[in-house]
Amino acid sequence: MKLIPAAALAAAAGLAWAAVAPPAAAQVRIFACEPEWAALAEEIAGEDADVWSATHGREDAHYVRARPSLLARVRRADLLICAGADLEVGWLPVLLQRGAPAGVQPGRTGHLMAADHVEVLDRPETLDRAQGDLHPGGNPHVHLDPRNIPIIAAELTARLARIDPAGAEGYRARLAAFRDRWAAALAGWSARAARLAGMTAVVHHEAWIYLFDWAGLVRAAALEPLPSVPPTPGHLRTVLQRMEQSPAEVIVRSPLAPTDAAEWLSGKTGIPIVELPFTVGGSEEASDLFSLFDSTLALLEGVSGSP
Amino acid sequence: MHPIARFARAAIAAPALALALPAAAQTETAPSAAELAAEIEALKSEYETRIQALESQLGDLEAKSEAEAAAPPPAQAPAPASRTASDNAFNPAIGVVLDGRLANYSEDGPVEIPGFQVGHHGERGGEGFALGHSEIVMSSNVDDKFFGNLTLGLGSHDGATELEIEEAFIQTLPGAGLPDGLRIKAGRALWTFGYLNELHAHADDFADRPLPYRTYLDGHYNDDGAEFAWVLPSDLYAEIGGGAFRGDDTPFAGSKNGLGAWSAWARLGGDIGRNSSWRIGGYVLTGEATGRGGGHDDHGHGENGEDEHGHDECEEENGHGADECEEENGEDEHGHDECEEEHGHGADECEEENGEDEHGEEEREHDHDHGDDFAEVFSGGAFTGDTRLWGVDFRYIWAPTGNARESELILQGEYFRSDEDGTYELGTVDSHRLDGSSWGWYAQAVYRFMPRWRIGARYARLHPPSAARLGHDPWAASLMADWTNSEFGRIRLQYNREELSAGATDNQFLLQYVMSLGAHAAHTF
Repeated sequence: MKLIPAAALAAAAGLAWAAVAPPAAAQVRIFACEPEWAALAEEIAGEDADVWSATHGREDAHYVRARPSLLARVRRADLLICAGADLEVGWLPVLLQRGAPAGVQPGRTGHLMAADHVEVLDRPETLDRAQGDLHPGGNPHVHLDPRNIPIIAAELTARLARIDPAGAEGYRARLAAFRDRWAAALAGWSARAARLAGMTAVVHHEAWIYLFDWAGLVRAAALEPLPSVPPTPGHLRTVLQRMEQSPAEVIVRSPLAPTDAAEWLSGKTGIPIVELPFTVGGSEEASDLFSLFDSTLALLEGVSGSP
Repeated sequence: MHPIARFARAAIAAPALALALPAAAQTETAPSAAELAAEIEALKSEYETRIQALESQLGDLEAKSEAEAAAPPPAQAPAPASRTASDNAFNPAIGVVLDGRLANYSEDGPVEIPGFQVGHHGERGGEGFALGHSEIVMSSNVDDKFFGNLTLGLGSHDGATELEIEEAFIQTLPGAGLPDGLRIKAGRALWTFGYLNELHAHADDFADRPLPYRTYLDGHYNDDGAEFAWVLPSDLYAEIGGGAFRGDDTPFAGSKNGLGAWSAWARLGGDIGRNSSWRIGGYVLTGEATGRGGGHDDHGHGENGEDEHGHDECEEENGHGADECEEENGEDEHGHDECEEEHGHGADECEEENGEDEHGEEEREHDHDHGDDFAEVFSGGAFTGDTRLWGVDFRYIWAPTGNARESELILQGEYFRSDEDGTYELGTVDSHRLDGSSWGWYAQAVYRFMPRWRIGARYARLHPPSAARLGHDPWAASLMADWTNSEFGRIRLQYNREELSAGATDNQFLLQYVMSLGAHAAHTF
């Protein structure tokens, strides 16, 4: 009688083994929580790594489920690279507890949270969920300040060199090439951003604070009454009143944000809407980190009329 | 990474970068090529020294942390110098779940499911205003090797407040030194069986559990025991596990030696394209039940054990006079009196019959002119014997736009089959030998069509053991709509149409709120 479940277990184990891929190549396996960090990992690790992104450019990384494929991927990861600051709080801890190896647990070399290594903005002074879905660790969307990217790149390189000493020279060489290209591009972007400085914008979600902080844009209002709380009619009327008194130059939304509130406000006020890619893969143009900033600036320039 | 070291590094690097780059950006004039080149050079040398410093620091820290093998750093922010470490800093994460409901039913009174035992978690909830199951959850890492969780359930039953230990377990952490992907959980927990069993009822997509959970698991299986689970190192998600349990919680009861049940399971899952994912699983849960009470008996932990004891003695003492037996059963709802009155047997005959029934066959029962009692013995009787539950589940999630927050379709279904070999006894006289199966299943679809709104439909059906001769499969159909204001609060309206007994249709309206306070809830698959 007890043989039957034992047989079932054996069969299950056999089935599962059959599903196991042939022995993995000696590549470093990088699990990126968001596509911007996957893009950075590809820049630094190149062909030496198997980079996999848990989310894609049109997905809200806060509302991801701890789905089976994520568990399978994190199970064999050598390094995690994520935004941090509680952006992944709903699902990453589940993955870490259920199947991730010791090397990627918090505090280990394989656990890289971008927000731990740069200056985080918007850290709330008081915590109350009546204020919306606050991130106690501050605003996690740090990748939109291009000055943060090389800092994280250096951190990533140092960690990859620790995890895979044999490939260390390659990582350092790719970092050197990347930072040269980035520094040159950044000088150009800074010059373009200088011409946009002072531009006023209505945002949908507080996702743009790092971009605005770097480029000198002014956030005039947010369509969400509280972080992650969808726009309400009452709040939208307040925003409309303010826009009628002193109109902003643009309404900025990400590909994730619903269109209705932005379109309503634009219809009432004539303020143009611009959909910025937000991350790599957020638009067709934004295919890597360089084109992310190139196209973001081009879209803003298109609205402001500057060249 | 040590927080102070991290802070120091950021402090060195940030001003340099901040100074180098946007200085030109603040002026209206574009920087000259020479200025840019100088900036780039400055940046390059800055990075060079920085990376070397980083790597050596990282090496030092790594060596140190490996030597200490201490817990991960508790704080994200650099600790102010004045901070004093107090015990409160290590308080576990605390969460509270509030669940309240308003219900209206067209059928009065306690509703039974003929042919099936229903414990009080499986019963229909109270009518009118009623609290559902409130929960207090406390969890924390114990140290670098263990995680602990305590979940207390607070409920009201017949006017009394009941405190139940829903979960009290420890679980190994990846730092415990077990092979990668392997974890062990011990204590009392919502063990792995099917999809819903691992979830607390407040996380369900409907206000009540589907029929198979109500009949086969009395809501959920949270026996005392231990379980291992191992995530395989494969690209396709594959996980296997198994456990050994006390055998005191439905579908088991009256554990003789505290090790009366065990389980095995396997799951596979993956993605289809970028916007949908799936998981399937197969499970078996097997063990012994001794006098598993039915009908209105309480299925609480421990209480069954005492119940059992009475029955056991009664069975063992069958050779004794009927009076002793009668006394033993005095507390039972279906006592010996009933037997005498209904059947008009003398006490001696009753005893005789009892003895025969033990070894008798189903046909033997048929000779009684009982009618409904076949079903009654299965739903109201006490079961003693071997019981084995098989389960299969699937779940498929599709986010049409890729952004699950905006819209999402969830399809889910489970099928349970119960094989039982033993005896159902009603009182001391009406006993029925069963070596047969029953099964139940449900399928549901839930669709989020706007960020805060979801609708869902569910159909559930049971097939009683053929020996119950019911000729009716209990079924229930449900429709629900819920509104989720934030990740922490939800209000739900549900309509159920149930026909559990032939011809008795119950129309139910449920209005429910589920709100959680404190620790952030996990987004399970």
